[in-house]
Amino acid sequence: MKKLLAIILAAAMVLGLAACGGQQEGAGSGDVKPPEPQGFEPKLGTEPVEIVFWHSASDAQGQLMDKYIQEYNQSNGKQVTVNAVYQGQYSDATTLLKSILSAENYSELPDVMQMDATGKVDYFNSGKAFTASDAQTQFEESVQGSYLDAALGNWEFSGVQLGLPFATSTTITYYNKTLLEQAGWDKCPDTFGDLIRLSEDFKANKINVPVIGTVPNTPTLANWLGQLGSYVVNNKNGSDGMADKLECVDNGALKTFLSEWKALYDNGALTNDALSTSAFVAGQVAIFTSSSSNIKSVLDKVGGAFEVGVAPYLRVSSSASHGATVSGSFLAMFDSQDQLKMEAAWDFVKYMTGEAVQADFAVNTGYIPANKAAFENSAYKALLASTPQFDVGPEQLEKTPSDMRSVTVGPSTDFYYAIMNNCSDMLANGQSVDETVSKMAEELQGLLDAYKRANL
Amino acid sequence: MKKRNLKPLLFLLPILIFSIAFVYYPFARVIVNSFSLVNAKGQLKGFAGLENYRYVFSRGDFAVALGNSLKLAAVNVPVTLFITIFLALLAEKKRRLSPVYETLFALPMSVSMSAACMIFKSMFSPALGWVNYFFGLSLGWFESRETALASCLILTIWMGIGFDFLLFLSALRGIPDQLLEASELDGAGLFTRIFRIKLPLISPTILYVLCTNFVLALLTSAPMIIITQGGPARSTTTLMYMMYASGFGSSDYSLAAVVALCAFVLSLGFTILSFVFERKRVHYQ
Amino acid sequence: MSRPDLNKGPKASRPASITSRERAADIAVSIIALAIGLVLIFPIIYCIFGAFKTPAEFMTPKLLPGSFANLDNFREALQKADLLRYMGNSFIVSFFGTTIRLLFAVFAAYAFVYYEFPLKRFWFFFILGTMMLPGDILLTTNYITVSRLHLLNSYLGMMIVSFVGASQMFMLRQRFLSVPKELKEAAELDGYGDLGFIFRVLLPVCRPVLVTLFVQGFITLWNSYLWPLLVTASAPEMRTIMVGITKLNSWEDENYWLVLAGVCISLIPSFVLFVIMRRSLRKNGLEGALVG
Repeated sequence: MKKLLAIILAAAMVLGLAACGGQQEGAGSGDVKPPEPQGFEPKLGTEPVEIVFWHSASDAQGQLMDKYIQEYNQSNGKQVTVNAVYQGQYSDATTLLKSILSAENYSELPDVMQMDATGKVDYFNSGKAFTASDAQTQFEESVQGSYLDAALGNWEFSGVQLGLPFATSTTITYYNKTLLEQAGWDKCPDTFGDLIRLSEDFKANKINVPVIGTVPNTPTLANWLGQLGSYVVNNKNGSDGMADKLECVDNGALKTFLSEWKALYDNGALTNDALSTSAFVAGQVAIFTSSSSNIKSVLDKVGGAFEVGVAPYLRVSSSASHGATVSGSFLAMFDSQDQLKMEAAWDFVKYMTGEAVQADFAVNTGYIPANKAAFENSAYKALLASTPQFDVGPEQLEKTPSDMRSVTVGPSTDFYYAIMNNCSDMLANGQSVDETVSKMAEELQGLLDAYKRANL
Repeated sequence: MKKRNLKPLLFLLPILIFSIAFVYYPFARVIVNSFSLVNAKGQLKGFAGLENYRYVFSRGDFAVALGNSLKLAAVNVPVTLFITIFLALLAEKKRRLSPVYETLFALPMSVSMSAACMIFKSMFSPALGWVNYFFGLSLGWFESRETALASCLILTIWMGIGFDFLLFLSALRGIPDQLLEASELDGAGLFTRIFRIKLPLISPTILYVLCTNFVLALLTSAPMIIITQGGPARSTTTLMYMMYASGFGSSDYSLAAVVALCAFVLSLGFTILSFVFERKRVHYQ
Repeated sequence: MSRPDLNKGPKASRPASITSRERAADIAVSIIALAIGLVLIFPIIYCIFGAFKTPAEFMTPKLLPGSFANLDNFREALQKADLLRYMGNSFIVSFFGTTIRLLFAVFAAYAFVYYEFPLKRFWFFFILGTMMLPGDILLTTNYITVSRLHLLNSYLGMMIVSFVGASQMFMLRQRFLSVPKELKEAAELDGYGDLGFIFRVLLPVCRPVLVTLFVQGFITLWNSYLWPLLVTASAPEMRTIMVGITKLNSWEDENYWLVLAGVCISLIPSFVLFVIMRRSLRKNGLEGALVG
């Protein structure tokens, strides 16, 4: 009897505590707050103000970040001081953001935060967002025209401009120029068909190096299906609103892509493993695709071992359009209810995405400047003149269809690996394309349904 | 009499308070989540009954994850036990070089998991790694379906060696001399002495290492998060990785809760079983 | 008052008649042990060598750096992330966190070994169960708790979730069970209360295990990352060493040389602690006193 009582007591203690914690949920609705357009009077510059900026820039990028902030603090002329805090990787910073929101401890929120694609929906749903759209309405100005459309569009969700693009990159093709020349190729393959022809020339020339080794994932699928004029999921790949349906099955785009993919493999042009930077640097694969922001580090790592060529992203077929989606990070602002701070945050965000910083960041890292004016910057022009490889990314963004979007889905990680595993299994287990399409469709739709069940 | 009953609780109180506040209170929330619809913001949206469990158990990757976790534990526990007991026996007697090799055996424990992951990832890199280069191999290690799980095992076993070795060493050194001398006089051979005398006498430590290593192996997540991302082709997807990727990464907190509960039940079940074995086989003086 | 003398001398008290055969065996075992030891710490050696490599050298599979005079990585690591200050924070959190955790574990293990009380098994597994839950699933709720206790951005907040040392409690229970019960009776005759017995008799006897547990606990806390990061969001000056190390990593790019230099620096305190631990055990001649 006594034992029983003690157990019940312990259980009650625990559950009681949990119940206390449960009550505070359910708050924090109201996703986008209504703008207040009437009578805006700027306060910025009238008195000193401090704002907090969270970023995830480490290593060399971290140092650049420190440099820009120092310059801003010394010379903004508006009495603004930015306190920058490194908050770990994007995923760590997002965990922190979610924790603060569920603790409703809003005083811990920063004024400005650097986020990548994984934080988009969390930010949008935070209830504390002060979006770039809000800022433009409230401060009665428009900045949209100053930025590359593709870069801005990537940070739009449900018709709201979440923030402004800080780091912008796209996926491009890197190739071992020296090796390709030995096979008689003076330019990079453009389509999957070219890859097959290249692998035949490799064989003919006794070059025993895999042409390409990769496993498709969410971004690559978005690119290749996008080239075929299809989205992976509805609502423009989830950028107009939460996606809940696959859109690439009924229109046959997924099947077209997988057939081409299988042909690549069957013809010996494709290795069903992820052979990326280190394999490329070691000369163990001829071609790989990666972010345009890696140009500098790939060039550095290869040193003079062979000549590195950079070309636009591979196309599924010669009838597909060119291009690839944008990735990178954006600067998001939070609603501190303090007009002065919000003005300061907006001013700082405009500075970080302005000509000088964007050009300098591009020169030092290989990211694409998101600000149009930065393309006229002399330092950036000098870079393009000395290292033409850096021009491939920006040129590709211009060619990319304006409605191509990266994928935003709730179950993002599962989606990513489900695509990878299904594509990889098709080749490893010799499944037919139709079988793979139906398995993949079932698994991906199942993930969307599970998310919908709890969220929509 | 009354005072006697209160005293042990007084000694237990600090650890109990913190257990409840920082483990069981959040754990209760995990249990609640496992029976509820939870949205991406972590808010409860309704009661789901056993639906979450049905959903998780019906997913193809759950069986894979469970299998991989059990494989990790099934190999890690005996191999670690064998290696660390062997090392402790080797180092038991004090020799001139004892301090040197004891330190060498124990040092791996000073490296953090994330640092170890980066070191191993670099060492075992198929293209640029020292291991393939030195041994003339062309294995994919962490990057191929066949070897990824084994590579993770090597890493986790290595991480666990130092601490367990130290525990066994101090246990072996603590065996009273009379017992060993008596057995030597009886003419017992080396193996008899090890299996009949030493191992039974250090059985409390064996029980400890057995239980904690099983739990640690079942909760392994860092190598999968940092190096393999559960791949290639789910070959290193474990329960804990599933909790991260399909739970946190895909904003499905109910799934995370169900998977964590599975790991908890397995760990607790194994530990309780070990304690049944304790009653029969573990010798305390 | 001398503590009850149940400490048998360590092995050294055996008759010192070393035959030459035994000597040869010792040398053979020592050589084997050294060889195994070198294999075991190879990853650490690899890490140290890697920290001296230039980026270009890192792109080749060779083990040795071109020159051990290349301190650029260390310099850069110290400069890019404020590692020394972070190490100070880590030390505070690890030292006090581990001390409190061990203290609680000692008390609990003592209660389990020396007292009978209702539901003893239940409470034992109740505490043991705390190590069977992945910390990350408790993270958000604990953040809320710590935030309500107004412990964000404080050292106490950083260490408070580590006060429960279930595995330490378990190990200490195993150790205490092996301590002869007569020790307790003798101590009671000498007039020791519970605390007197714990601190004057029990813990000194169990010193090797205690020290091992302390070192392990210290290293675990030293290496913790996500929790200290979350609770110091507004106090970057309180960040710990692991946060500093991630700051050296550029995630898109495998630039390990800086990280390895950072890891080398972060290993120094662990190594120092190790040496102190071995010293303290030897000096007291207590290594392996009684049963483990």
